[in-house]
Amino acid sequence: MSVADVVSKDILDVRRAKIIWAVAGLYTLVTAVFVYWGTQARPPEGWSGVYMALWNFVFVGAMFVPAIALVGAYLAIAGERESGSIKYLLSTPIQRRDVVLGKYVSRATVVAASLVVAFVVAAILSLVWFSEFPAGVFVGLALLTIAFALAYVAVAITISAATATRSRAMGGVLGFYFVTNLLILFGQLSILGALEYVLNELLGLGVGDDPIQLVGMLVSPTHTYLNTTLLAFPDGFEEAMLGGQTTATAWYVEPEAALVILLAWTVVPLALGVWRFERADLG
Amino acid sequence: MIGLVVVTSMPAIETDGLTKRFGADVLAVDDLDLTVEEGEVFGFLGPNGAGKSTTINVLLDFVRPTAGSARVLGLDAQADAAAIRERIGVLPEGGELYDRLTGREHLEWIARTNDLQESVDYEATLDRVGLTAEEAARPVGGYSKGMAQRLAFGMAILGEPDLLLLDEPSSGLDPTGMQEMRTIIREEADRGATVFFSSHILGEVESVCDRLGIMNEGRLVTTGTIDALRDELDLDASVSIEVDAVPDGLAADIESNEGVHAVETDGTTLTISVANPTRKIDAIRRVDERATVLDVRSTDTSLEQLFNTYTGNGEGEPEPSAAGFAGDETAETAAEVGR
Repeated sequence: MSVADVVSKDILDVRRAKIIWAVAGLYTLVTAVFVYWGTQARPPEGWSGVYMALWNFVFVGAMFVPAIALVGAYLAIAGERESGSIKYLLSTPIQRRDVVLGKYVSRATVVAASLVVAFVVAAILSLVWFSEFPAGVFVGLALLTIAFALAYVAVAITISAATATRSRAMGGVLGFYFVTNLLILFGQLSILGALEYVLNELLGLGVGDDPIQLVGMLVSPTHTYLNTTLLAFPDGFEEAMLGGQTTATAWYVEPEAALVILLAWTVVPLALGVWRFERADLG
Repeated sequence: MIGLVVVTSMPAIETDGLTKRFGADVLAVDDLDLTVEEGEVFGFLGPNGAGKSTTINVLLDFVRPTAGSARVLGLDAQADAAAIRERIGVLPEGGELYDRLTGREHLEWIARTNDLQESVDYEATLDRVGLTAEEAARPVGGYSKGMAQRLAFGMAILGEPDLLLLDEPSSGLDPTGMQEMRTIIREEADRGATVFFSSHILGEVESVCDRLGIMNEGRLVTTGTIDALRDELDLDASVSIEVDAVPDGLAADIESNEGVHAVETDGTTLTISVANPTRKIDAIRRVDERATVLDVRSTDTSLEQLFNTYTGNGEGEPEPSAAGFAGDETAETAAEVGR
């Protein structure tokens, strides 16, 4: 099985790289800090501080996890094209499709493994610091966060498959990170805030919140992930955190729909990546 | 009833009108018709940028032809790429190996992708290419260029492929390494493999190839056996011998020998131009009988100069004499003496 050949060799190679462990280590550290911060913060009336810690954990993850995924995967193929080692890889019976899929599986495995380490550390700290330990919420968030990471790994692999040099791959993932993450996360300053301003304030179209939310999910895996996390938190917690306001009415912005979109964020980029790479000239 | 069995040997490599353009104005390969028969050692010569690597890249399906087609071992280079790669060994040009993997891991990986784990002998392969078990246990990031090239060569010959595609196999090798590589190429041919290898250095091809093809500016200029091409191109090689003093009549004496084209004397240095490199050692012996040899420098005609000389390309004025070849661009390798 050629995909397995790519995976085993790439994992052997990448687990000896230091950068991915450095980023994952930093994430673990920041997660630990935010869990601690949860012990100090004042949770909403009637909720344990552990939920505050998990809420923070989601937002830390929303910024950090894409960075880990992109750093861990952006050179997977472009780096080999620049160094020319791709020629050795493709001098074997391995096919190009196997390269893209195999690189995805190996980098996804490494990234997921580093996230699991962070989750375990956070779980241990939560057990020590809080009286309550909602294991179901923990596992749910961990699974959603891994699905979120895998979407960014898929995007990074696709950018890597479509670029011939390290610098272009880096430019591609940086641009994607800015547009789909940093420019999405900060409310009024975000792309969605700007879109709403243009549509409703300038053009006076009176577009509702739901279509804008949908656009957000279609352009950003980060936005999609944040919507899916409502699946993991207990009913009523979000309302308590956000001061009683209710969200999401249309079916297509329900957390379940968001989960489907999140999975599509893995499948669609990978298909594109395979398509592009099979047609590339590797001169 | 007795039928007549016609045995037609299928070419190992066959291109038909192969053309590759990059962008609008780079024509890397121009209407190439090339046939390499099964079992032969074929040297693919040409200056840098002639289109050799692009041709090999098409055979390996790294790049797709703009027009024409290529077949390898009777299979279509594009449609049957994976099936072809199961039967060939490749030494690509300018590719780095995996710094973080050891030499041995590289070989094991090639064996696994080709389903050869049961049948290959890693130690024997390492031994053939001149790497020790200790060297093979180290990450390739710490290898010298020559060691990396030896390992890459080992990866190519692992598992006795039907066809070896070697792109500039001698790059990074010292003269000893080049000699060892030529020996292995010969051994591979003797067990029945077809060997196709590219080079821009004529001297490295001539001693090992059955047949040559010369490429220039994307076109196949000529193909044929070494002897046929030698006659056609009137290849020259020269050796410079520095002596303590030049005895009277020595130059004329040597010039009268078979295979010597010209002898020039410049102070205490004799520059002897010979028909082919094997004549150099005769010339050196003859000088040694009559004078004390202080230094010997051997000069081979580089292919680039040959192209300049015989196709009128480039800035070099046509001057097919030994003196014309002894200029700055001449590849000088003292260690090549006595080959």
